[in-house]
Amino acid sequence: MAKIIGGIGTSHVPTIAMAFDKGKREDPDWKPLFQGYARVASWLEEKRPDVLFFCFNDHASSFFFDHYPTFALGVSEQYAIADEGSGPRRIPPLKGHAALSRHIARSLVDAEFDISIFQDVPLDHGLHSPLTMMWPSQPDWPGRVVPLVVNVIQQPLPKPSRCFALGKALRRAIESYPEDLKVAMVGTGGLSHQMIGDRAGFNDERWDREFLELIERDPERLAGMSIEDFMRLGGNEGAEIIMWLIMRGALAPNARKIHQNYYLPMTTAMAVAVFE
Amino acid sequence: MSYVFDLERSARGLRLNRFLHGLTVADKRKLFLESPEEAMKGLTEEERQMVRRLDWKAMQDHGASFFCLEKLARAKGVTNPEMVAAFRGETLEQFLKTRRVPGAR
Repeated sequence: MAKIIGGIGTSHVPTIAMAFDKGKREDPDWKPLFQGYARVASWLEEKRPDVLFFCFNDHASSFFFDHYPTFALGVSEQYAIADEGSGPRRIPPLKGHAALSRHIARSLVDAEFDISIFQDVPLDHGLHSPLTMMWPSQPDWPGRVVPLVVNVIQQPLPKPSRCFALGKALRRAIESYPEDLKVAMVGTGGLSHQMIGDRAGFNDERWDREFLELIERDPERLAGMSIEDFMRLGGNEGAEIIMWLIMRGALAPNARKIHQNYYLPMTTAMAVAVFE
Repeated sequence: MSYVFDLERSARGLRLNRFLHGLTVADKRKLFLESPEEAMKGLTEEERQMVRRLDWKAMQDHGASFFCLEKLARAKGVTNPEMVAAFRGETLEQFLKTRRVPGAR
């Protein structure tokens, strides 16, 4: 049977990909970020998951507001890299796990989570900006991904409680898959940032650190908050951290955080944490 | 809570957002960079003005999604800190003074 071996929470800021692609590993402005991901990369190398289940959002790259899904699951064997306005990143296409995806789709709908399904859709930085920091892409990816795209950019967003419940349903879905697979959950987004409006440039490190504690010890409390609470505390765009709740919901209630890094250089607080 | 991208804002900005989103397609982007007026034919004159001037704040107020604006910014080689500075009514230099690591961009 498939087994969830742990989880990762991570920011998905596009400049993380920019720093990686431009080789800024030793640049003093970026070194604290790269160092924070080194421990995540070694955890993945040691645990060797077959599949990373990614909860992330598309940034109006592949999906558009003519039909914007709330929860959409990818069921392809392969996903191209999206062109976000300056050509796709030069990394290999992502390898999917279609059979696992199809099983999860059926299991979620059976559990009354009526998700959308997509195939053959390119994936954007929401997934691969953190991915290249933790998984080698050369000569090819060491494993497969299953992408879950979540609407966090057009209100109304799914409730935090719904995200947490979806995570629990995902645990049942994944752990009922008959093949022996090791799966790690990844929840992306945040932490505090606001890109637009009167509060453009807003951050709150105190809230970010509280969130990083609560996601480990008391995710129910986060799940009980409203989207408005998340926007007030972490900025309009910072509310996307509800995607960490999907990851956390899929882990054992007593999962513990074994690594954390926090770096706030510019407009978005960049955090990464590992749970097992 | 202001500037929330809700369904009202999305409806208001749909035409402009569709144009901005279209810049993810290499052919449409090439047309825009080489013959912008041709590429912007489907927009209103008011919208064309905003795009010509790269007036980020005006586009935002008109209903553009930040994530669609990013497509125009990438096509024109503009960074996110430059856009955020514009939303704040600051120059890039002023905005960078408020940041912990101004070189991280």
